[in-house]
Amino acid sequence: MAGPLEKYAFIAAKLRTKLSKILSADFLARLISSHSLVEAIQLLRDTDFSQVDVIYEKTGDLKMGELELFKQEIKLFEEVIRYVSGDVADFCRALLMRYEIDNLKNILRLWFDRVVRKREIEEASSYIYREKIIRDLHVEQLLNAENIENIPEILSDSPYGLLILENSEQIKLKNSLFSLEIALDKYYYKQLLLQVSMLSTRDAEIANRLIGVEIDMHNINWIVRFKTLYDLSLEDTLSYIIPFGHSLNQQMLGAAFQSEGTADIISDFIKKKYANLSPLIKIQGSETHSRLVLVERLLEEIMRYEVKRVLMGNPFTIGIILAYFVLKKWEIKKVMTILNAKLYGIEAERIRDSL
Amino acid sequence: MMFTTKMKYLTAVVLDKDVEAVTKELLADGVLHFVNIAEVSSGLKNKVQSVTPQISLTRIAELKKRIESFLNMIGILPEKEKALDITQLTPVDLEQSEKELDKLSESVQGIRDRQKNIQQEILKLEDIKRQIELFGDIRSSLKERSHFSFLNVQTGIIPENRFEDFNTEFKTLPSVVLNFHTESEQSSILLITMKRDDNRVNALLLKYGWVDAEIDQEMDGIKENVVSDLDNKLKIYNKEQQDLHDESFSVIKEKGDTLQRLWANLRMNELYYKIQSYFSKTSRTVIFSGWVPAGKADSLEKGIDKATKGLCYMEWSNPEKLEREEKTKVKVPVQLKNPKFLAPFQMLVKNYAIPEYGTIDPTPFVAVAYLIMFGLMFGDAGHGLVLLCIGFLGMFFDKKASGNIFNLFKLISYCGVSAICAGVLFGSYFGMEWFPPLWFDYHAVVLGHVPGDSIIHDIYGILQITLYFGIGVIFAGLILNWINLVRQKRWLRLFLDKTGLLGAWVYGGGIYIGYYFMTQNGKLPDDTTLLLLAFIPMLLFLLKPVLSFFTKKTDNHHARFTIFTLIDFFMEWIVELLEVFGGYLANTLSFMRVAGLGIAHTSLMVAFFKIADMTNSPIFAPMVLIFGNILVIALEGLSAGIQSLRLNYYEFFSKYFSGTGEAYTPVSLSTSQD
Repeated sequence: MAGPLEKYAFIAAKLRTKLSKILSADFLARLISSHSLVEAIQLLRDTDFSQVDVIYEKTGDLKMGELELFKQEIKLFEEVIRYVSGDVADFCRALLMRYEIDNLKNILRLWFDRVVRKREIEEASSYIYREKIIRDLHVEQLLNAENIENIPEILSDSPYGLLILENSEQIKLKNSLFSLEIALDKYYYKQLLLQVSMLSTRDAEIANRLIGVEIDMHNINWIVRFKTLYDLSLEDTLSYIIPFGHSLNQQMLGAAFQSEGTADIISDFIKKKYANLSPLIKIQGSETHSRLVLVERLLEEIMRYEVKRVLMGNPFTIGIILAYFVLKKWEIKKVMTILNAKLYGIEAERIRDSL
Repeated sequence: MMFTTKMKYLTAVVLDKDVEAVTKELLADGVLHFVNIAEVSSGLKNKVQSVTPQISLTRIAELKKRIESFLNMIGILPEKEKALDITQLTPVDLEQSEKELDKLSESVQGIRDRQKNIQQEILKLEDIKRQIELFGDIRSSLKERSHFSFLNVQTGIIPENRFEDFNTEFKTLPSVVLNFHTESEQSSILLITMKRDDNRVNALLLKYGWVDAEIDQEMDGIKENVVSDLDNKLKIYNKEQQDLHDESFSVIKEKGDTLQRLWANLRMNELYYKIQSYFSKTSRTVIFSGWVPAGKADSLEKGIDKATKGLCYMEWSNPEKLEREEKTKVKVPVQLKNPKFLAPFQMLVKNYAIPEYGTIDPTPFVAVAYLIMFGLMFGDAGHGLVLLCIGFLGMFFDKKASGNIFNLFKLISYCGVSAICAGVLFGSYFGMEWFPPLWFDYHAVVLGHVPGDSIIHDIYGILQITLYFGIGVIFAGLILNWINLVRQKRWLRLFLDKTGLLGAWVYGGGIYIGYYFMTQNGKLPDDTTLLLLAFIPMLLFLLKPVLSFFTKKTDNHHARFTIFTLIDFFMEWIVELLEVFGGYLANTLSFMRVAGLGIAHTSLMVAFFKIADMTNSPIFAPMVLIFGNILVIALEGLSAGIQSLRLNYYEFFSKYFSGTGEAYTPVSLSTSQD
């Protein structure tokens, strides 16, 4: 069996080089203060985002650039998978499933808009990623499906068919894809954690920690929405929570959901876990919603801390791969947020606040 | 060339009215390394006010970046050297310039928006095409229209004389219109449209008297026709898209010259105001100061004199005078002035640090040491020739690249020459012995087939050569250090430091004792020799902390003599001795890597020759040798280059190079951008 050095030496060197190319805060500040979308995109010419510039110059369509970035991210995963083998490759494939599930969600949302909400989706459907990621999603057939009963059949060659079948009644009953989306997320994390259990003890520990923080962020995100946008019972809320979080378990989230001071309760839990980050943990704000948004930001900060910890530690672990993907995902998110804000003429100050 | 350039310090006072002319003159001359006068002349600190530039340097920099970004879109970079002409310097209206750039940005954005609209049409047509291709035969699809969820596929008839107009109107929509045949003044048509356009489509159908009709029998091969129609439309849209892209390019290109001129003017204004930011003023005069290479002082003086028509006061000082007057150490900028052919080595020196003012410029010594080291590690004339060619090609194709890249290629070509010379000495040509060696056969030594008359018989002989070379390099470093110390009048360090005469005494003694030990079967020299070469200098090291303390040259000038001072002396002495013995031993042994890499180079080539022999094939054997040579050139070339640099930086520089200098950076039209 290959040792950690043999397993990770090459990929660690490669990803460290790529990490050095991640756009700096100064560069993002320049991007934010650029005078127009045209000028902002031009700045990306000599970066990893050069394809956005090429496509925008050719088509004037920012969404096409965004689609290209999605393609690049998938290619990046495929590249990493080529350089690793065995349990690590399987784990990376499980991570790649996130993109497939996100893509499937987008397709199903469009289908839902067309069939249930009777909306026009022609324009949006052009920006759907149509290539195979892990499994064939039969995009055109899904988009053209006449009713929910047809969909499990179309996806019968993938595990998603069964998930949709299990949730089809709920979709019809609640006239919403919400339960299905949660089921897909749960499926993703279940598969991912299954792959984590196959990793070596040290790798599994690192992966569990980083994935756990991601699950916390995911759950907090939902709790915020449940509190403010949906009228859900505690039982329903808890059924939507993804288990295996790092700092917040189901009990804590339930207590936070029921309490008036949701944000405070969550921040208390986090404070206990991350005592060394205490100066950072100052949740201020009067409204519950804004305070919960701050909790979300705090979790992001914790993720940043965990990533930094991984990068400063032993380089020959799964951590380098996870850290790279987390940072890359953030970088893409930030760049696209800035470019979209430029497209809609949003002021620099507001863009800064939203990042 | 041997030492850093001699500098002179200028303090000038000019009248307020001459500031513009003087600034332009200083910029045109571009030789003054500005120093804020209050930093050097402490007496002036409270008597003068600093000058604030009239316009924001940040805004200028921002505007320049914007222009660069537009120029980058059309693939050009501002040509600084060509564009910057001081006679063209005019005051810049930042607001107006910003407005012009905003206007240009809006124009390009407008074109991009139009491109986006066309792109939407392209996407729609591609969608129609995708759907049609996916769902097989159009005929069957007409019966099961629901499959085409985004599409409406219908057949019908309209009056023949209205077909042209009908077709033209539908061209404005993403659609396919196919006319099958005309009979009884009626055209039979297949129409494919997007469902979202149903309202417009129905209105048009009504307008042209459309009547639904089955035309099944003529539908053979229709799918190909539809796809071909879509392809034609896509071609037209793509052409439009390309035209718009070209238009955006032209819009910027039209402004290209204006942008370049504006950039040049902004750059000159930036430098102009940067110079003025160093000025200080009194009520009617302006004072500035800075360092100039002594050789350029006269021309600068004449220039300022001319700009002010003689109404100025200039005072020149040398660093020593200034230090005497100010009673403090003055930081003098350092200019390294070497012939152009030494530029790659000057780059290596600067990359490490800037030497202290007045000390030896290491560049020529680095050139010699680096190339000898490289040659010893990479001694193959054939491989050297390849490096020489790479270097020349790089310099030829990369003329416009930044100076450092050009210098790197120059360095590669020098390394090539060094390897060729070493290869001739060792008789190695692509790992083969085409000509007899002038010195000794490196390959034969490594393989153990040395001819009887060879100077070197085994790899220990090679190791010995590199050790002697290392000792030579270290002694050269010590001598250079002594020259620096004499020039700086640092006598204590000259005599008693580990890199001074005493250090050399111990090092020389150590080498002799080591040599004696090795050659006399483990015996040590007699007591008198040991006393002279080791014990006396070791004891003398104790003088350094003692003298430093009593001549107040320690860090703590006010320290009192106590019993702890004696302990300090003792501890310092012990540490110094450990550093001397450990340091010199490590420095010397470090040069064995030169032999190590040389042997590795030869061994790798030998290995590839063996593999080639083992293939026993007239095709694979040469391929293995070509691959092997490429690998050895790449791998060993890089290793030898890095190790030569490392030996220079850590073994050679540590003996004499104090990299505490500040680089001479005058503000000139060729100043690199911040």
